[in-house]
Amino acid sequence: MSYNPGEDVIEVVRGPAPGAAAGAYRAFGETLRGLKTTFARIVEGPTTIQYPEEKTPVYPRFRGRHKLHRFEDTGLEKCVGCSLCAAACPADCIRVVAAENTPVNRVSAGERYAAVYEINLSRCIFCGYCEVACPFDAITMGHDYEMSDYTRSDLIFTKEMLLAEPIERTPLRSEGE
Amino acid sequence: MPRPEQKEIQFTIDGREVRAIEGAMLVDAAKHGDVEIPFFCYEPKLGNPVGACRMCLVEIEGIPKLQTSCSTPVKDGMVVHTQTDRVHAAQNAVVEFLLVNHPLDCPVCDKGGECPLQDITFGWGRGRSRFIEPKRHFVKPLSLSPLVAIDRERCILCYRCVRFSQEVAEDYQLIFAERGAHTYVSTFDGHPYVAPFSGNIIELCPVGALTSKPYRFRARPWDIEGAGGICTLCPSQCNVQFTVRDETVMRVLARENDEVDDGWLCDKGRFAYQSIHVDERIAAPLVRDGGELREVSWERALSVAAGLARHRGRVGALVGGQATNEEGFLLQSLMRQGLESPDIDSRGRASVPLELGRALAAPSLQAAVPDLEFAHTVLVLGCEPLDDAPILDLRIRKGVRRRGVNLAIASARPSALDANAKLSLRYPPGTEAAFLAELAAALAGPPSSGDISALAKLLLEGGEDVVILWGERVAADALPTLLRIAERLGLSGRAGAGLLEVPSGANGRGLREAGVLPGVGPGYAPAPAGRSAAQIAAAAADGRLTALYLFQTDPVRELPDRALWEAALHRAALVVAHASVLTEGIREHAAVVFPAESHAEKEGTVVHPDGRLQRLRGAIGHPNQVRAGWSVLAEISARVGHDQGVLTSPMAWEQLVAAVPFYAGLTLQEIGGRGVRWPDRAQAAQMPAGSAPSAPAPPGGSASSAPVAGAPANGGLRLGSYRPIWASPEVEISPALKFTICRQHVELSPQDAARLGIDHGEAVEVSQLDGSSAAYSGEAGSQARGKLEGTRVHGTAAVRSGVPQGTAFLADGIAQDSANELTEAVVEVRKP
Repeated sequence: MSYNPGEDVIEVVRGPAPGAAAGAYRAFGETLRGLKTTFARIVEGPTTIQYPEEKTPVYPRFRGRHKLHRFEDTGLEKCVGCSLCAAACPADCIRVVAAENTPVNRVSAGERYAAVYEINLSRCIFCGYCEVACPFDAITMGHDYEMSDYTRSDLIFTKEMLLAEPIERTPLRSEGE
Repeated sequence: MPRPEQKEIQFTIDGREVRAIEGAMLVDAAKHGDVEIPFFCYEPKLGNPVGACRMCLVEIEGIPKLQTSCSTPVKDGMVVHTQTDRVHAAQNAVVEFLLVNHPLDCPVCDKGGECPLQDITFGWGRGRSRFIEPKRHFVKPLSLSPLVAIDRERCILCYRCVRFSQEVAEDYQLIFAERGAHTYVSTFDGHPYVAPFSGNIIELCPVGALTSKPYRFRARPWDIEGAGGICTLCPSQCNVQFTVRDETVMRVLARENDEVDDGWLCDKGRFAYQSIHVDERIAAPLVRDGGELREVSWERALSVAAGLARHRGRVGALVGGQATNEEGFLLQSLMRQGLESPDIDSRGRASVPLELGRALAAPSLQAAVPDLEFAHTVLVLGCEPLDDAPILDLRIRKGVRRRGVNLAIASARPSALDANAKLSLRYPPGTEAAFLAELAAALAGPPSSGDISALAKLLLEGGEDVVILWGERVAADALPTLLRIAERLGLSGRAGAGLLEVPSGANGRGLREAGVLPGVGPGYAPAPAGRSAAQIAAAAADGRLTALYLFQTDPVRELPDRALWEAALHRAALVVAHASVLTEGIREHAAVVFPAESHAEKEGTVVHPDGRLQRLRGAIGHPNQVRAGWSVLAEISARVGHDQGVLTSPMAWEQLVAAVPFYAGLTLQEIGGRGVRWPDRAQAAQMPAGSAPSAPAPPGGSASSAPVAGAPANGGLRLGSYRPIWASPEVEISPALKFTICRQHVELSPQDAARLGIDHGEAVEVSQLDGSSAAYSGEAGSQARGKLEGTRVHGTAAVRSGVPQGTAFLADGIAQDSANELTEAVVEVRKP
C-alpha cells in the first residue's frame, strides 16, 4: 500500500526557466566577484606566519601559562598555600598541599607555604580566576602558549616548574597594533 | 526527674507571627521565623549564655536599649525587630570593633573557609574599617598544649573555651589573663592545657585562635569531604565526622547526637585517627616464617588460617571490643558450627551465666544515656567514667551542675567525679559482692548511721529515678545482689531509671547480643557450654586447646594474668589474629596476622551500652592490602567447610537480624545516622527473660569477701587495677598522642607512702605477696612461690590523697609493667 500524505502536501511553485544570459551570470558572476578579492590581495604580498620559527604576538593581557612569583628582595615565595586558587578554579585543575614554615626551612613569608603546588595544564581552561582569587599576587597568567607535550603526566606542572623563570618565547603585541 | 515541660508561645519577629517554646533564647526562637541572628559566643552546650560578643543585638519593643538576643528568653507577645537601622548600626559597629585587632590573615589561617567571623563580617559587616592605627600584636603561633595551637591575635574573647574548661569539663585550667585589649586566653599557671577533653575547644572556637596541631595546614574546607561514622575506641561510641582528603582521614569532628555524646569528643577519639595512616599499622597479611612475621599474599595467609580445620573442637576464640556485631556473629558461627568449638568469649574479666546475663540485659531495666542527666540520683558503681567511657563523665557533670542530680560514687579507686558527688564510698578492690550485700541490707533494713546507710537513704529518698552506672570490673558474684538492689529501688520498667553497664570493650554489648559469650548464642539463646576467657587461657596453657583465634584483641595486653596468657599463646600450635598494631602477644606468638580495619573503614553495626544500634560506614577505602573483617571471616569459614553465604556486610546483618529475635525487622536504613535504641522497640519483648540466682550470697558470709578496713595483716597492700583512658595501642602509634603514652603509676595513699618512705614521683618496684602461705607448701608450692616472687612491676609512685589506706592501684592495659602481670590480691611496694 503506498503512502498517502493526505492534506500535508505543500505544492512548490517554480518560476519560468532562465534564459542564456541570465544562466551565464548565475554560473560565473559570484566566482568573478570572489576572484576580484583574490587578485586585489595579491599585490599586498603573503602574510603567512612561519609558526615554529615565527610566533604570533599576543596582547599584554593574554592568559597563557601560569607563573608563580617570589619576592624580589628576600627571595621568599609569595604563595602561602591558602588554596584559594584551587577553590576558584572551575576546572578543578589546581592541587595545593600546605605545610608549616620553620625557622630552619622558611619558604614563604607567612606561617604556611605550599609544599605541593600543581596545575594540571591539560585540564586548565585559562580563565584566569586563580589570578583573581590570589590574595598575594603569587600566581599570574603568563604569555606562554606553547605547552604541548607527548604525555599527559608531563602537563602537570609542579611548583618548581611554575616558579622557574620561563623562557620568554612569545612576542608581545606592541601598543596599538 | 521528669523532663521540663515545653510550652508554646507566640511572638512577633520582623512582622512575622512565630510560635516558639517559652523560655527559649530569642536567637533560637528567631529561627522558627526564618530570621537569622548572628552570634559568636552563644552555645547552648556550654550552659547559660554570657552575652560576651554583643553580636546578637536586637530591638525589642518596650525596651529602650538594644538587647542581646542570646541571653533574652522569648516571652508571649514579644515584638522583636532585627532589620532596623539601629540594629544594623550596632551590628556594623560590633564587627568593626572585633576586627580592630584581628590580624585578617585569613589566607594563612586554618579556619579560613569555615570561620563564623568571616561569614558574619561578610553578612553583617560594613565592608570597610575606619581604623588606621596599628594593631595589637602577640607572639604567635604558640602551643597551648601539644595538641592545640593558640593564636592570640585572632581571639575575639568570646569566652567559649574558658566556659568549656570551667563549666563543662570542669578542669578549671583555662582563664583570661590580663585586662582590656591585652586580654588573652591561657592556663592559669602557664602550663600546657593537658586534659582529656581539651580538643573540644578547637571545635568551639568561632575564629582561628585555637587550632588543631595535627590538622595544622593540612587542608582547606573545599579540599575535604565529611563522612559520618562512629568512634569505636571506647564504649561511649561517640558519633563523629571524619574529614577526608585524598582517601586520608585528616581530622575527626563531633557529630552532635544528644542521645549519645551531646556533641563532645575526648582527645582519644579526636586525635587517635592518626593511627589509621602510620607506618606502624599492619597493612598486609603476615605469616610467621622461621620465627619471624613476614608479609605474604592473602592466599597464603588464608590457607595457613584454614589450618584451623585440623584443630576442630580444640579452638578457643577471643573477640575484642572493636569488632562489629556482624563480625562477632560470623566468628561465633565459624567457631560453633564450622569448628565445633564452643569456646568463644568477649568478656575478658568475669564470666556471667546465661540467666543472669539475660536478667541484666533486660530491656525494661536499661537506662539511656540522657537519663544520667535527668535522673534524681546517679550511682556510679565500680567504674571510672573518665577512663572507661569518657563522654559519660561529661554527661554526669552536666547533670550535677545544671539539674542538681544527686551523685553517689561507690568504687575501689578514687574517681575524678568525687568532687561533684554527694557521697563517695570506697571499698577494697574486688569486694563488690560484700559491699552490695551490705547496701542491699541497708536498703531493706531500718535506717541507721554509717556511710552505706547514707547511700541507701540517698537512693531511697533522693527521688524515684535512679540510674546505676556500673562497670565490667564489678565482680561477677556481686551481680545478683545488684539485680536485687535494682528490684528494691523499682528500676525495672521505669522510664528514666535503670541500669547502665559500661563494658570494657567498645562494642561489648553488641558482641554479647550477637552470641559471643560461652554458652550464649545470638540473641541470648542457649548454646552449647563453652569455656570463658580465663578457662580458655588455662586450657590452652595445658594443651587441651591447640589453636586460638584472636579477633582484634591481645589477651597478653588486655586480660588479667599475663603469664598464663603468654604460656597459653606459646603452647598453642596455631594462633590466628586480626590486629592493626603488633602488640606484644601478637608479635611474639601469632602464626597468622590479618590486617584489621580501623573504625573509619569498617562497615557494620555496633551497640551502644544503652542498647542503641549504631551504624559504621566506610569513610575511606581500605589502605594497602587491608580487607574487610567480615569478608576474611566468611572466607576462612568457607575454607574450613562451613560456607556462610555472606558476600556483603549487609548480608551478614540480615543473618544477624534473623538470629536475634529482639532485632527483628530492623533495617540498616532505619538505624541510619542517629541509631535506634532496641529496648525502646516493640520487639524488645522478644528478649528472653532471665532470672537472678534464687539464693543470694549471705551478706558478709565468707571471710574472704568481707570488706577489710585498713591494711592487710602481712604489711602488704591490696592490689587494685585501673585502665587509663590512654591505654590503647591506637594511642601509642598516633604521633600527636605520643606525650600521653602510659607508664606505670603506682597510686598510693599518703599514709602508706609515709609508712614505706616513698615520695611522690619516686621509682618503685611492686612484687607479690602470697595470699596464704599454706598454698605454697611442698615442692610444687615452692616453685610457684619462686615464680611469684620473681614477678616484679616497676613504676613511678603517685601519692593520691583519695586512695584508701592499705590499697595500691596499678594501671593495666599498658605495654610495659602492666598490672596484669600480678596475679595475687596482695602486693608489696618498695623502693628498688
